[in-house]
Amino acid sequence: MNTIALFRVIKSGLTNFWRNRWLSAASTLVMVITLVILSVLSLLFVITSSSVHTIRERVDISAYFKTGLAEDQIFQVKQQLEQNPKVKSVTYISADQALEQFKQKHANEPLITDSLKELNANPLPATLQIKANNLEDYPGIADELNSDQYKAQIDKVNFEDNRVVIERLNRLLKFIVTIGLALIIIFSLIAVVVIFNTITLTIYNRREEVEIMRLVGATNWYIRGPFLVEALTYAVAATIVTSVLLAPLYLRLLPGVSNYLNPGVDIFAASYLRFYYLVLLMLAISCVLGIISSLLAIRRYLRI
Amino acid sequence: MIQFQNVTKFYGQSKALDDINININHGEFLSLVGMSGAGKSTLLKLIIGEEQLDGGQILIDDIDLATVKKSDLPYLRRKIGIVFQDIKLLPKRTAFENVAFAMEVSGHRKEKIDKDVPKILELVGLLHKKDNFPDEMSGGEKQRVAIARSLAHRPVLLLADEPTGNLDEINANEVLDLLLKINKLGTTVILATHASDLVNKINKRVITLEGGAITMEQEKGKYKL
Repeated sequence: MNTIALFRVIKSGLTNFWRNRWLSAASTLVMVITLVILSVLSLLFVITSSSVHTIRERVDISAYFKTGLAEDQIFQVKQQLEQNPKVKSVTYISADQALEQFKQKHANEPLITDSLKELNANPLPATLQIKANNLEDYPGIADELNSDQYKAQIDKVNFEDNRVVIERLNRLLKFIVTIGLALIIIFSLIAVVVIFNTITLTIYNRREEVEIMRLVGATNWYIRGPFLVEALTYAVAATIVTSVLLAPLYLRLLPGVSNYLNPGVDIFAASYLRFYYLVLLMLAISCVLGIISSLLAIRRYLRI
Repeated sequence: MIQFQNVTKFYGQSKALDDINININHGEFLSLVGMSGAGKSTLLKLIIGEEQLDGGQILIDDIDLATVKKSDLPYLRRKIGIVFQDIKLLPKRTAFENVAFAMEVSGHRKEKIDKDVPKILELVGLLHKKDNFPDEMSGGEKQRVAIARSLAHRPVLLLADEPTGNLDEINANEVLDLLLKINKLGTTVILATHASDLVNKINKRVITLEGGAITMEQEKGKYKL
C-alpha cells in the first residue's frame, strides 16, 4: 500500500468517526470509563503496594544492652547474630551515638534537653538494630534474643510487630487486584461490544461504497482500513480525555501520598507510575480493544 | 483472450452453468443473450472472481483464474471494467467524484485524477455534467457515468450486465452506442442482455444461453426469444 492509499484510508476512517459523531461519542465514553477504572485501580494498587513496602522496610528488632557492658561483648553478640541465616543486617549503635541521635531528634524541645542536662550519666543503652530477610523470621529472632543465652548481656528486646498491619494491607492489595481485574474485564467487554456495534453500523452505512470499492479493484486492506482507523480514533480520543481527567489527580495526589508515607523522599519517582507511562499504557490497552472490536465487526459483516 | 473450458457452476443443487465452452478474442464485442436466470450474470461473475466455478476452467490471457490468489483479485479487477443494471453510483458524490473514486481506490495521485477524469467524462459525453449529482441526471446519463467509472482504470475488458435494463429506448441506444465506441477504441466488451432489438441492431457475435447451456452461437447475430 503506497502512502497516498494510506493517507486516504486514514482520512476515510476519520470521516467515519465524524459522520457518526454521537455514536462515536458513546464509544469513546465507554472506553473512557474503562480507562478511568484501569488507571484509578492501578493507582490504588501502586499506592498500597508502596505502603506495604515502606512499612516492611521499617520493621526491625532493637536489642538494648545492659549499661556498662564492654563493647567486646556486644560485638560478640553481633557476630553471632550475623551468622544466623535469617538475619539480613545488624547495626550497632553505641550509647554515645544513641544519645547524639536522641539529642538531635529532640533539639527543639527544651524540656527534654534540659532534663537530659540534669542527668550526670548517659541514660541510653547501646543498641543492636537487627533486620531479618523475611517478615516471618522476626518473631523467631526476637525469641532467640529473649532467651537465656543472652540474658547476661541484653536488657530488653524491642520488637514492634507490624505484621498485622502488613497482613491487612496485603489483603487489601489482593482485594484491589481481584476487584480491579474483574471490573477491567467487564468494562473492556462492554467497550468491545459497543465499538463492535458502532463499526457494524458504519459498515452498514457504507455498504454501497464498499461494494463499489470491491468492484473497481480496491485491495482488501484499503476497504478494511478505514474501519480499523475509526476504532483506533476512539482509542486515541478516549486516552486523551482520560489523561486530561486524571492528570490533576495524579500530579497532585501522588506527591502527597509519597510525602505522607516517607517524608522527604519521592517514593514513586523511580516507579512505573510516571504519568506518561500511564498514558502509554492506556493508549496501548484502548488500541488493542479497538482493534479487537473492529476486526470482529469486519470479519462478521464486511464481505470482501 | 478469455477461454471458458467446460465451465460448470452450481448454486446448491441447481445447475447455473452447464459445460460452457467459449473463446473470446481481443477487441471483440460479444453479446450474451438469454432470459433471466439463463446464466449470463453468473458467467460475468466468474470472470471477475466474484463466484468460484465447480468444474472446468477459465483462462484469461492464458492464466488460469483458479490459480489467482484471493489477495490478487483486486489487481485482476483493475483490468476489468464492470457495469450493472442498477448502476450503483454513490448518491452523495458528483459525476466527477464517482469516477475519481475508482481511481482513488487504486492509489492514483490527485493530479493524475484531476487530469484523467475530465477526459473519461468527455469520452462518455458528460463533461458538462461533471458537477451534477446522480439525482440530477437521467437514467442513461447515470449509466454513462457508471461506464466512465468502469473505464477509469483503462481496462482491457468491459463487462456490461444488463446495462440498459432500466432505460427507455432512447437512453438504451445512447448507452449501446457508447459501448460500441469503447469497443472501437480497443477494449473487449461483453454485453449480457435480454434486449433482443439492441442485439439485432449491432450485428456482432451473439451467444444464446438457456438454462445454463449454450443453445446458439452466431458470428453476426440475430437473436429471437
